[in-house]
Amino acid sequence: MDKPILILDKGTTCTAWNYSGQRLAAGSTDGTIAIYDSTDPASSIFNCTARFKVQESSILKVVWVPPEYGDAVACISADGTLSLWEEVAQDADVLLWKLCKCFERNTSQVLDIQFGDSHTCLKLVAAYSDGQVKIYEVLDPLELEKWQLQAEFQNVIDLVSKFGNASCSAASISWNPQRGELRQSSFVLGFTSSIPLLNSSKVWEFDQDHQRWLPVAELALPEDKSDQVFAVAWAPNIGRPYELIAVATQKGIAIWHVGSNPDSNGRLLTEKVAVLSGHDGEVWQMEWDMSGMTLASTGSDGVVKLWQSNLNGVWHEQAILAPSS
Amino acid sequence: MPGMPPPPQFRPGGPPQFAPPHFGQRPMGPPPPQMMRGPPPPGMPPRPGMPGAMPPPPGGQVPVFGPPRPGMPPPPNAHQQNQQHQDSGEMPGMTSNSGDSSLSIVPHFSDSQTPRIYPLRHHGLTPPLARVSISWARGSTLRVSLIQSDAISEQQTGGEVVEVKLTNMEGGEITEAQWRRIAYGSVTPFALLQSQKNLMDSSHYSKDWWEHVMEYSKEINSLLGNSMSSSNLVIEDPKAVLKKEEEPTSLKAAWELMEIFYADKQSETCIPERLLDWLADYDCLFSGTQPTVHAKLVDFQRELVTLQVVENDPKYWEAMSSALAVGWLDIVVKLLHLHGSYQFDQLGNRETENGLVEAVAVLISKMPRMRPDLPAEKLGECYQTKPEFMKAWEKWRAQITKLDCSAFWLQCDHHQTREGLKNMLQIMLGNTSILSNLTYNWIELFISHFLYIRPFTVGLENMCNLAQKCMHLKPISNHHKLMGLIIGILEENTEVVLAECSRSFGPWMITHALELLTAGSTQAEILLHEEQSKLGGISIEELHRLVYAQVLSSHALTWNIAPVYLTSCMKQGMGLLENLLYRQPVQNHQVLLKSIEICRLNELDIVSSNMMKISGVRNWKHGQKGSAVFWLQQAQDEVRLNRIAKQLFDFVGKSVSDESFKQWEGLIELLGTESKTAGGLKFLNIYRDFRRSLLQVHGGTTSDSARKAVESLISLMKNPSTPQRFWLPLLYDSLKLLNWQEPPLLNVSQTHLLLTKLQELSIARLRPDFTNADLPPEALNSVRLALATNLGRAILEE
Repeated sequence: MDKPILILDKGTTCTAWNYSGQRLAAGSTDGTIAIYDSTDPASSIFNCTARFKVQESSILKVVWVPPEYGDAVACISADGTLSLWEEVAQDADVLLWKLCKCFERNTSQVLDIQFGDSHTCLKLVAAYSDGQVKIYEVLDPLELEKWQLQAEFQNVIDLVSKFGNASCSAASISWNPQRGELRQSSFVLGFTSSIPLLNSSKVWEFDQDHQRWLPVAELALPEDKSDQVFAVAWAPNIGRPYELIAVATQKGIAIWHVGSNPDSNGRLLTEKVAVLSGHDGEVWQMEWDMSGMTLASTGSDGVVKLWQSNLNGVWHEQAILAPSS
Repeated sequence: MPGMPPPPQFRPGGPPQFAPPHFGQRPMGPPPPQMMRGPPPPGMPPRPGMPGAMPPPPGGQVPVFGPPRPGMPPPPNAHQQNQQHQDSGEMPGMTSNSGDSSLSIVPHFSDSQTPRIYPLRHHGLTPPLARVSISWARGSTLRVSLIQSDAISEQQTGGEVVEVKLTNMEGGEITEAQWRRIAYGSVTPFALLQSQKNLMDSSHYSKDWWEHVMEYSKEINSLLGNSMSSSNLVIEDPKAVLKKEEEPTSLKAAWELMEIFYADKQSETCIPERLLDWLADYDCLFSGTQPTVHAKLVDFQRELVTLQVVENDPKYWEAMSSALAVGWLDIVVKLLHLHGSYQFDQLGNRETENGLVEAVAVLISKMPRMRPDLPAEKLGECYQTKPEFMKAWEKWRAQITKLDCSAFWLQCDHHQTREGLKNMLQIMLGNTSILSNLTYNWIELFISHFLYIRPFTVGLENMCNLAQKCMHLKPISNHHKLMGLIIGILEENTEVVLAECSRSFGPWMITHALELLTAGSTQAEILLHEEQSKLGGISIEELHRLVYAQVLSSHALTWNIAPVYLTSCMKQGMGLLENLLYRQPVQNHQVLLKSIEICRLNELDIVSSNMMKISGVRNWKHGQKGSAVFWLQQAQDEVRLNRIAKQLFDFVGKSVSDESFKQWEGLIELLGTESKTAGGLKFLNIYRDFRRSLLQVHGGTTSDSARKAVESLISLMKNPSTPQRFWLPLLYDSLKLLNWQEPPLLNVSQTHLLLTKLQELSIARLRPDFTNADLPPEALNSVRLALATNLGRAILEE
């Protein structure tokens, strides 16, 4: 059932698999990234094929760029910088990882990033420690060097409020994984911050007509709106009439149904269908499987939990994977 | 009896010629552990939990809906289940990746309150871990990165990545390779059945549908291992036996149960007879956890080699009686023929005894059976209709009673023979207490009741009543997954059947067995086909197919058969198929081609063009420009192709002799093959032709290529997609053509066109955004001069 497939370098801080699960990028405390590859899809033998230095400071998070834009990773460093590295052929067809973009920053730090909407024009959402959300767009589909800032806003449901001096320690972003040209691009975003109104997870959708981002749903009950959000995860939808989003706060993991059609106020119908007990503390990460039926989560208790709805539609904890001590 | 030759049936050191089902082929020696009764000996490691099964809920293994039926035994308590977990483990010799039970994540109706904890094995990481990070790979494979805390200084590694297959195909008794064989083998029968279903007129649906289902069931059943035909049992070389040996598996047993009860409408009237055959084949599966008739016969066979006078051994009679009770008539008759009175030197003085033995043997072999036919080696006389059978049954019973009252018994001196045979007559007369003593579990008792007490038991309800009675007499001490399945079937409780199928036998079983279930039970059909909003609008049938497809997708060797199951899903199959294809590693050429083929078959053009796009971009970035252009063209990705074309523009205007142009020439060739080329590409195409002709002009002066070059130049200058910044370089490159003497290459109107363009260019130069080409400053003037000269010549010519 379980099989160790890879040994990580000493000092590894984070890992990320690419879209096909054939490549792993691992960031480490000394600011390097190691790339592990498996050549044959049938084998699970991975070899380190590249190592490159990104920064002097530790790497906090690595995210792969969607494959339609090549083999590239974005990494957030401990000093708050965000840079983009790409694997390209140099002379004599030698593959090299080279820096293609370092996003300019002011005093705030990048907390989380996610790529989305790879079908039409690659977008990058970045959440900053000052509570700002920035959306960048790539200008040229073959060059990851050129980006433009498409939008900048704060994670508030009413667009009028503005907060200065926000201090955020964590953020979590998850794009709607649905592909296709007809879909509006949308994502969900939650914060851990000093300003209660910024915290709760909101679904943002791009309004094509007015070329702006609008909050279309807030995934928190009135009494939970100030809860700090550990992690969000938008489930793949293979045909359900509603969307499924998991939101983890200190009160547990909530499973939300989100309707597809907005009401007269432009808001989507939401329903909290379950609150699961979570991880006795912080939830580090949540991931849906490719059918959107099983949710996996990890947290400060150091175990992996699997969640599923049974045939009666009741969400429950299906299994726990605990590293043997 | 010293000096006596061994009975002719015996071969020294070999097994006797009789054999109860499945054990005649075993070599002598210590029994394999699964044949042993009771708990394993102390030296054996405790076996892990049931492979392929979910942990039982603490409240009870079988989720029973509604109030329990009267007369049903209470669900086994937790302790018993614990016992079962330890006992029913993998079969020895079967490889399994881990010693642990596999984890399945198939949704059920009810789920345990406390989730089971599965250990993740790793090598020498020191807890606590700094971080655990997760990522789903294809299918239901989860990759877990266990990242070591930096604070621990003596650590050797920074952590480890562990891959967890969440729905293991192997159920312990079947190896992974066998599973793949089964998975591949069941694709065709499944697909055929689906297409038959689609073709089927709804009015004919119920009438002859079962025939298709039965055909399907037989095909699937044939995949689940070689059938244990008795012809294998008489084997000359005991060593050859081992090679042919194939363990009967619970999976096959379960499949056959489903077939008997749901698919086979033809033998609906003789289900008990089929159950009898079933038990003869699979009673040994229960031996692992509890005493059985089969185990008793195995024990006796071991002793048989050493016995000189079998009829003196009470075990001989017991073994025969038990076999008779469960209807293994051929074994009983074979054993009876081992009786000492058959031996030539004994025949004289044991005539009466031998006559009685033979009489019983004949009665046994003449037993009336209500079934259409019997396999060659099985005994009994078949009757198709109830009246015929009843008549024969009464006659047969009368013969037994007559023999029972016969005076010959008084003349039989051999005590054991007399008692043993009389006991067997009692069995055939249906003595309840004797039958109960000779059988070990409720299924065996059920069969014996059916054979000798209630031979007219038909219909599920009657069978269920009888089963409940038998369970009352022989309470379930040890829950076996097959028993759970039989109970669910007899109770007509679809939920239990579903739960048992998927928990004990996994996603493959449930997906394929649902066809039998829906064909055989209207209640099940409604339950399984109803679209349920709590499942996101799909039916239970579809859900199970999706789960199975996901299991198939987890493995690189089986992912390509998942589409067969996904396309049979009405609602969400295509969505999952798209997600599966998006996760295929397109850098692998074969995977890419296979995926494109799957897309073509399922009309997923957007998905396939996306994969081609990924491949194209990857090739482009990796310097394989030719394949990049090829794949981007296949993907019809005009945006990226135009982008590439723009890069080629940089070569326009560079010196004609520039070697690097050759490099790009092929690329332009590729770009140009597509009919739907964008403007930029069209420009490049003409430019390439222009360039070629020009090179020839520079090489050797041929007026033919010069004329071609002019044609290209004119069409370039006429073409609105030619960027203005290239006008001057093009004209400057063409100086030689413009200055052509005998005769001038450009006519008056052509020269006028170029002059107009030159004029436009001169005006454009005044604008601030004009980009000056990398040309000598006198370029414009020399072109203008050449054009003017040419105009003069052309006018003269005309």
